[in-house]
Amino acid sequence: MQLASQVLDEPKTASDLSFKDYTSNGSRLSWLDNSGLGFSLDYPTISLHAVSRDLNAYPWEHLYVMVNAKFEEDNAKEAPMAEGEEEEEAEDSDDDTEPIAEFRFVPSDKSALEAMFSAMCECQALHPDPEDEDSDNDYEGEEYDVEAHELGQGDIPSFYTYEEGLSHLTAEGQATLERLEGMLAQSVSSQYNMAGVRTEDSIREFEDGMEVDLAPAVAGQFEDAEVDH
Amino acid sequence: MEVSHSVKERTIAENSLVILLQGLCNRVTTVELRDESTASGRVTNVDAFMNVRLAEVTFMDRQGTLCHLDELFVTGRNVRYVHIPDDVDIRATIEQQLQAIHRVRYFGGRDKGRKEFPRTKH
Repeated sequence: MQLASQVLDEPKTASDLSFKDYTSNGSRLSWLDNSGLGFSLDYPTISLHAVSRDLNAYPWEHLYVMVNAKFEEDNAKEAPMAEGEEEEEAEDSDDDTEPIAEFRFVPSDKSALEAMFSAMCECQALHPDPEDEDSDNDYEGEEYDVEAHELGQGDIPSFYTYEEGLSHLTAEGQATLERLEGMLAQSVSSQYNMAGVRTEDSIREFEDGMEVDLAPAVAGQFEDAEVDH
Repeated sequence: MEVSHSVKERTIAENSLVILLQGLCNRVTTVELRDESTASGRVTNVDAFMNVRLAEVTFMDRQGTLCHLDELFVTGRNVRYVHIPDDVDIRATIEQQLQAIHRVRYFGGRDKGRKEFPRTKH
């Protein structure tokens, strides 16, 4: 817990909280009064939050937040205690259970409670439990394609490498390939080997079509260049 | 039956039993927390991290004090048990949730639309 001296982000509530800024941004929850004094809570420490409108239990409608941490009595005194607008209660646990602190945020405009609650839900979702040991959460693999497996078509690739691809070509596919490569070869003089373009000649000459002949055999296109190769 | 908009969350849900909890939306049930407090109410949302949202909640803290809350959000980390109502058909619920995910995934037909994962050969 730390005392915040400035608002970290624009408040997410729709209404204007004139007395204080409740800020729920991606990293922490902040509560400040007019003078800028306040405190903030880190999301991973928040166990749960709720909207309470039961006036029998507590005299004002408020946002209840339960925090998995201990707050000393000294801190309670330092936090601003504007009348009727904010209250914190700290429970000391004398057994082995984890410490619990409860916060009740009472905004001056109670219609803001819904927005505050929703904003916190979204921010909590941004903080998954770092101690979650479920290693299955590391999903980078393929989604299970139910239909494909049912039809016996599982693992049909959507692209092929060059060598594999040739063997999978249908007759029509082969014809298309030859036509396209022919077009490619015709658009360039066969005496040129342009960088990266695998013409008919270059495929035959080099095993790895990525080799490039830097010096053009006929300097037709590069007459203007003043380069000595 | 709302499916998460996140590909990652759909994948996590599809591969764990949290999908059963997601199928409890709009059912009234009890969630027991790690600190032994309980929250009884109507489930409005469960995400892939087991964060649970409840509405119209009766909350009993670990001392046994009752209070009513309009809405409650519990982080997945703090959930110990979720009671499954007796009249819930567990297997059917899981299958329905999986179907909902597949409807979203294959929207627009099997070979149309944006694929979430490319089916590549490794």
